[in-house]
Amino acid sequence: MSTPEPHIRRGGWRLMREVSTREPRWIVLGVGCALGWTLAKIAIPLFALQAIDEGIDPYDREALLGWSIAIVAATIVVGVFTYFRRKSAFAISLRAEAELRRRLFDHLQRLHFAYHDRAQIGELMARVSTDAKQVQMLVVFIPIAGANFVMIVGVSVVLFALNAKLALVAMASLPVLLVIATKFSSILHPVAMGLQERLAGVSHVVEESLSGVRVVKGFGAEEVQNGRLATAADGVYERGMALARLRSIFNPLLEVLPMLSLVAVLYVGGREVIAGRLSVAELIAFNTYILMLIFPLRMTSFMVAQVSRAAASAQRVYEILATAPEIVERKDAQPLPEGPGEVRFEDVTFGYGAGPPILREFSLTIRPGESVALVGATGTGKSTVARLVPRFYDVDAGRVTLDGVDVRDLRLSDLRDAVGLVFEDTFLFTDTVRANIGFAEADATAEDVERAALLAGAHDFIDELGDGYDSMLGEHGYSLSGGQRQRVAIARAILADPQVLILDDATSSVDPTKEHEIRDALGEVMRDRTTIIIAHRPATIALADRVVLIDEGHVAAEGTHRELLATSAAYRTVLAQAEAHEAAS
Amino acid sequence: MRQMYGSDETLSGEEKALVFRRTARMLAPRRRLIMLGAVCVVMQAASTLAGPAIVRYGIDNGVDADDLAALNQAALAFLVAVAGVYVFGRLTVLLVARVGEGFLRDLREKVFRHLMDLPLEFYDRNRTGSLVARMTADIDSLQELVSQGLSMFIVNLLVLLGAIVIMVAMSWQLALGVLFVVPVLVWASTWFRRESNKAYLQLRERVGGTLTSFQEGMSGVRVVQAFNQEDAFRRRFAETNEKQYKTNLHAETVTARYTTIIELAQGSAIAVILFYGGWLTGQDVITVGTLAAFVLYLQNLFEPIQQMSQLFNTIQAAGAALQKLYQLLDEPVTIDERPGAVDLPPIGTLDVDAVSFRYGDGPTVLDDVSISVAPGQRVALVGPTGAGKSTLAKLMVRFYDPVVGSVSYGGVDLRDATLHSLRQRIVVVPQEGFLFGGTIRDNILIAKPGATPEQVDEAVAALDLEPRFAAFAHGLDTEVHERGANLSAGERQLVSITRAALADPALVVLDEATSSLDPGTELIVEHALERLMEGRTVIVIAHRLSTAARADLVAVVNHGRLVEVGHHDDLVARGGEYAALFASWTGGARL
Repeated sequence: MSTPEPHIRRGGWRLMREVSTREPRWIVLGVGCALGWTLAKIAIPLFALQAIDEGIDPYDREALLGWSIAIVAATIVVGVFTYFRRKSAFAISLRAEAELRRRLFDHLQRLHFAYHDRAQIGELMARVSTDAKQVQMLVVFIPIAGANFVMIVGVSVVLFALNAKLALVAMASLPVLLVIATKFSSILHPVAMGLQERLAGVSHVVEESLSGVRVVKGFGAEEVQNGRLATAADGVYERGMALARLRSIFNPLLEVLPMLSLVAVLYVGGREVIAGRLSVAELIAFNTYILMLIFPLRMTSFMVAQVSRAAASAQRVYEILATAPEIVERKDAQPLPEGPGEVRFEDVTFGYGAGPPILREFSLTIRPGESVALVGATGTGKSTVARLVPRFYDVDAGRVTLDGVDVRDLRLSDLRDAVGLVFEDTFLFTDTVRANIGFAEADATAEDVERAALLAGAHDFIDELGDGYDSMLGEHGYSLSGGQRQRVAIARAILADPQVLILDDATSSVDPTKEHEIRDALGEVMRDRTTIIIAHRPATIALADRVVLIDEGHVAAEGTHRELLATSAAYRTVLAQAEAHEAAS
Repeated sequence: MRQMYGSDETLSGEEKALVFRRTARMLAPRRRLIMLGAVCVVMQAASTLAGPAIVRYGIDNGVDADDLAALNQAALAFLVAVAGVYVFGRLTVLLVARVGEGFLRDLREKVFRHLMDLPLEFYDRNRTGSLVARMTADIDSLQELVSQGLSMFIVNLLVLLGAIVIMVAMSWQLALGVLFVVPVLVWASTWFRRESNKAYLQLRERVGGTLTSFQEGMSGVRVVQAFNQEDAFRRRFAETNEKQYKTNLHAETVTARYTTIIELAQGSAIAVILFYGGWLTGQDVITVGTLAAFVLYLQNLFEPIQQMSQLFNTIQAAGAALQKLYQLLDEPVTIDERPGAVDLPPIGTLDVDAVSFRYGDGPTVLDDVSISVAPGQRVALVGPTGAGKSTLAKLMVRFYDPVVGSVSYGGVDLRDATLHSLRQRIVVVPQEGFLFGGTIRDNILIAKPGATPEQVDEAVAALDLEPRFAAFAHGLDTEVHERGANLSAGERQLVSITRAALADPALVVLDEATSSLDPGTELIVEHALERLMEGRTVIVIAHRLSTAARADLVAVVNHGRLVEVGHHDDLVARGGEYAALFASWTGGARL
């Protein structure tokens, strides 16, 4: 991983601080409880020591009772504070995790199309799951980190007070434990990740072999896939063994180091007792304290190792959050004038990112209520024209206006309310059919939704789904065919009742034998509405009042369908291609 | 997603025994390593348990008796025990890994091999997702057990039992005072296991919900923005996000309660030992050394019970996973090569003779269908969706065996043919080009793994596709991402056709694409297909009239029967079903 720029590094830390301080009350409670817990824990063996010295050795009923009560009280404190310490640790850290997820989602929802064109959803998913979790796993230490420190210092103080020489010997191996545990954690992580990677490799081979099982069997390629799986499984074996070798060195070592302390306590402490410089009870207290230190030390080492992982994760999240949305509303943006819906492109030049311009000085006026079909070969810029109207992208030069106002000067929400668009690859959400159609109109009635579906030719098949309009779509629900999906999307746009409607290849997946069913509906929808329609099928193109042939980013010819057929050779060529693959219709 | 975990999936005693016996059988070849491992486990536990007993000896016979020699002996013995813990601990980890990882590797290969052998009928019955889960989530849960828990579980169990026995033997009075924590711990751990299992099942669902919601928000971002619904979607996500937070916090609260009980128990146990033990020492019932040993043994009670309660879920899950895997291995391989199978002749007539077929116990899909396709003939199967034309095509390539009747090639029943020769003579080109990971070349080579680069080039050239493939960044060696996401549908189809060309079959079964491809490659695809079909027997599932019109024979399938066979012109003239189909096709839009 390359070192990120300083401002990203700082931003990552700032972000981590921001999200981890969202629950200040829990922080106070957690830190307080953790400290109380530590002190009570340290106190118990001391109380017991006092009880033996004052209450048992010379038997003293009063003192014994007093110290017993103290021990019971301390134990209860330990128990109760444990609960609040843990609970607050997770209340703080899970909040941080949730906050990161929320911020990511909010920000990504605002980012421009061009960003999403480049972004890979898998990558974004990793940010929202893995990276948020890594941060959580560090933040969770907030209450305990200070307490651990206090524990280590406190126990050291007590032990040194009891017997400095023995304390030195007993604690000698503990810094080694800390160092080794930290080192182990950082060595282990990449190897463990390597194993995860290999496991992912296996699942990759399995997934594609099973999805493509018909191809595999069709060519008798079972052995090829068996071989690939064997290689992948060998990879897992090898990584698994590498991991085991590491564990076999470190795990027993971590277990043995505190035992070495106990050996030292026995050997040196025994001598001190014989020499009369230490009591047997104190020797036993030493053992208790050594055991008490193991947990904080291991945890500290884990925390140290986690810092760099969490920081890297926070930086990756910050990088996304620091990306500024390119399509933003002007401060003095104006509301949409109540115009008839005239769309005008004035000398528009546009290209995606640093790519070559797709549109070159493109000019076109679509009169209010007029429907225009954009026709052209793939890559000539038809869809691009459509995408500039609702300001999914901003032009590089020239301007796009709606009723005479540059779209960049309009309120974004007004603009997008006024322009309805149906994409070629329709997107349906995991929700009911009704919610998918009424997606843009929260207050649409059941009748409105059904009317829109009827117009889009979707009512019949929706009726046949198990729960009609309340049928769930998506992963655990019904999956619709491409044509059905497109009809739901058209219903969605109809319901939104936009001033300007854009149909971008919106009927391409509708079965040619069924398209005529919705063609009438489209005609109905398009009447008196400014419409841009992008289509390949002549019958659909013929619905438009005017046809514009686009070639190499500008208007090559225009006229009605029949005029162009008669006059433009280029138009006939483009249609011939479409005809070739629609020969049956 | 892991599918086994819930309490509803715990195995019955009988099932457990079966899973155990079968696993033992599979592990039998690794007997010697397992025995060695067992020895190490016992030695590790013994070394761990020896420590406190040695401390007791050192304090009683050394410190208390002012005997330096005894103290030295004790310290030395303790060192030896520590060394034992290290050495045997290390060996245990290594041996368990050797056995476990090896077992898992074999299991993966075995299950996958079996999956590859299973007939397509099996894949119709089972969702790919859940089969993938067998090979991933289920085996991974075993992996977790092997790499983390198994050895620890056994060592812990031994240490726990050993510690209890030794404590009672050292002083039953003090043991009585301390061991009260054991039932409390066991009860608390059982409670915790149940509750946390419930909480985590719920959490997993919530996490899934959040991720789905996030993914939808991202894949649907264009629609969301187009319809101005950013706020609604943010609220929607914030809700699922908050639900996950709450559920997660609840799960952690369960853990916090459990930890509280543990801490209380631990605190009281230490108090009892120091206090009651101290008193017992004063009464000369026990020695100081025993007291010290008890403090140390306490550690050996708490750690094992806590770790074991965590591992218990993993072990249960592993048992359930193994059972599912064994069930999968027990699925019969029905499309198999008969002993004494013969190679199909290089060329021959495909004869479908009085074939009836149904999927499993389903309704009859094909009913007494007979058709004969001579070498070099081109036959188009047409008919409405669900009429049975795809099924007929699948029987022709022996993806399924007919229930009644037979399919033969060159006079050899496909069931008597070697699978190898069958796949060599007869090849399917599916509707959509399916790509695997690797390069374009790797994908083509699926058809003939041993083919030379020259043979691949020839196949490409035979289809006139050199310029098309040369246009890719690295030509045929261009890497295919995520199942061909970087290739258009048409380009994927081209790879699929080249694959078929490399296999160089005598008979091609072609499932024509229903939806349109990108106009840029559409014509190239059609041309390549035409080249592929030249000189070969072709059976095409036709969705376009033009395809049917060009065929030598049109076979009309409807309701599982072959209703008409003949040339396009004759059938149209006859005015039967085909003529009606033709009319509905052409009745749509015209220019």
